[in-house]
Amino acid sequence: MRMRASTLPASGPVRRVTPTTIIVLAVLTAHVLMVIFPFVWVAYSTLKTNKEFMRSVWALPTSFSLDAYVGAWSGGALGTYAMNSLWIMAGATVLTVIVATLAGYALAVYRPRWMAGVELSLMAAMAIPAYVALVPLVVLLRNAGLLDTHLGVILPTAAFNIPVSIFIMRAFFVTLPRELFDAARLDGTGEFGIFRHIAMPIAWPAMFTVAVVNMIWVWNDFLFPVVFINSPARKTLPVGLTDFVGEHITNYPVMLAAILIAAIAPLVLFVFFERQITSALLGGAVKE
Amino acid sequence: MTSSSRDVAPKGQTRAALLFLLPAFVLIAVFVAYPIVYAGWLSFFRWDGASAPTFVGLDNFLRLATDAIFWKSLGRNILIAATAIVLQVFLALLIAYCLVRIVPFVSRLFLFFYLVPVMVSEICIGLLWRFLYNPYFGLVNASLKALGLGWLQRGWLGDSATAFPAVVVVMSFTYLGLYVLLFVAAVRNVPESLYETAEIDGAGHFTRFFSITVPMVWDAVRANTLLAIIGSLKTFSLVFVLTNGGPNQASEVVSTYLYKAGFSSFEMGYAATIGFAQIVLTAAGAFVIFRYLKRARGGNER
Repeated sequence: MRMRASTLPASGPVRRVTPTTIIVLAVLTAHVLMVIFPFVWVAYSTLKTNKEFMRSVWALPTSFSLDAYVGAWSGGALGTYAMNSLWIMAGATVLTVIVATLAGYALAVYRPRWMAGVELSLMAAMAIPAYVALVPLVVLLRNAGLLDTHLGVILPTAAFNIPVSIFIMRAFFVTLPRELFDAARLDGTGEFGIFRHIAMPIAWPAMFTVAVVNMIWVWNDFLFPVVFINSPARKTLPVGLTDFVGEHITNYPVMLAAILIAAIAPLVLFVFFERQITSALLGGAVKE
Repeated sequence: MTSSSRDVAPKGQTRAALLFLLPAFVLIAVFVAYPIVYAGWLSFFRWDGASAPTFVGLDNFLRLATDAIFWKSLGRNILIAATAIVLQVFLALLIAYCLVRIVPFVSRLFLFFYLVPVMVSEICIGLLWRFLYNPYFGLVNASLKALGLGWLQRGWLGDSATAFPAVVVVMSFTYLGLYVLLFVAAVRNVPESLYETAEIDGAGHFTRFFSITVPMVWDAVRANTLLAIIGSLKTFSLVFVLTNGGPNQASEVVSTYLYKAGFSSFEMGYAATIGFAQIVLTAAGAFVIFRYLKRARGGNER
């Protein structure tokens, strides 16, 4: 990686194209192609027929057929799984956003001495692997009659996503000038009034940001749904997908279409809300 | 909190702070904190999940202490963390430097592509990689053959010698993007003037990377290393879908081992013990690494 000879002092922000630039560009392009290849491959393979797929697994399709998608959608319960995922995603996301907004606001605006302890506990909670709580959660949910229900997945999922979401919200609320709150206090506005009428109205974009990342996390989550849900009719998409793949082991394009259907929702969210998602990941992780 | 520390009504503020934190506290207490305490309690019992638990004292812990599969699984989690520091954190920093300093005109596009696997469910990614690793028509074997390395072909995930490394490779491809994102943000924050001075001095990219970028983003390196370690100890879905810990437990990690103990063998007490031991070791490990990095930083600049 020693390439000093090729770099001349650039004039201003415009950089000259040097051999280094070209080499680095080539290497990074090759690497990026490797990273996204599986996703490109799955997309074009679903256009093949099974016969064509078996003839040449990695070649581009010669025909254009959407039969695999029809087969995937009608050959199993993907629609049901998707609806289940949607409900759990909606429930856990709404709960997380509300709870994290309140707590993130408190963390940013109020600084009593014990707040440092709260922050530390939240960071500790972020480090805890969810599987550690698996057996006790099964007992807890069974006793509460919530095992094998969507609510039984929503509550622990939200609880595990709340700490990081709080830090994302806090990162937003600390950017608000303190004078905003102090002025309102002098006017005699109560603490909840300040939150409701001053902080909340400008917090929507941050709340939306937290919502989008949580939607992706919950949609993709596997551990809690696979353990807490048994009824096929209540399974989520990633869990149902593993069943589906086992049942369609002989028809590869159909199997791949099912995988793509499961992967598409987060990718669509990412395409549309790239800025919010990246800022959320930065806001939540930059915390040390 | 006495009123002297604040100008306005700190007592009302403290009460407000508590109220705002209450919902989060309740959810985390019930679904995160209590289960961990309960796991500690359950580790003193033998329990199949259905009949009444039998108190067995320290039996589970004694069994764990001599359980070679548990220690090997934990060792693999640590190995995953070590490879993550190199193949995810360090590689991501190198990529971030290149994206920001050398090829900024593609940084946005490439960052987008690097983040694609971060967005997609690990189950989908694992299922796709099973095709790449397929012993009969997998692309990995086909590429080796094309490169004249046909003798290396094998069933990567079904061979106990290669199953675990194969899983680690998938992990490094999957999570890399997150660290690229975090480092791109950090590298962009390094003041331009530092690079300009170095450039005038004739420092190449190698020197600039190690003597300017790395020290300037050291906080991010520390945070991301911690993140990678924590993530490596949490890992479950990719291993589950790629190998489920097999063959012959050659790629078992703590999470898959716990899952099998609890939900295949129905040894709930022992599964709880595995989890409880893991949390203690995670905490200890994170603490030690964190302290070490803090000291390492204090050593080379102050």
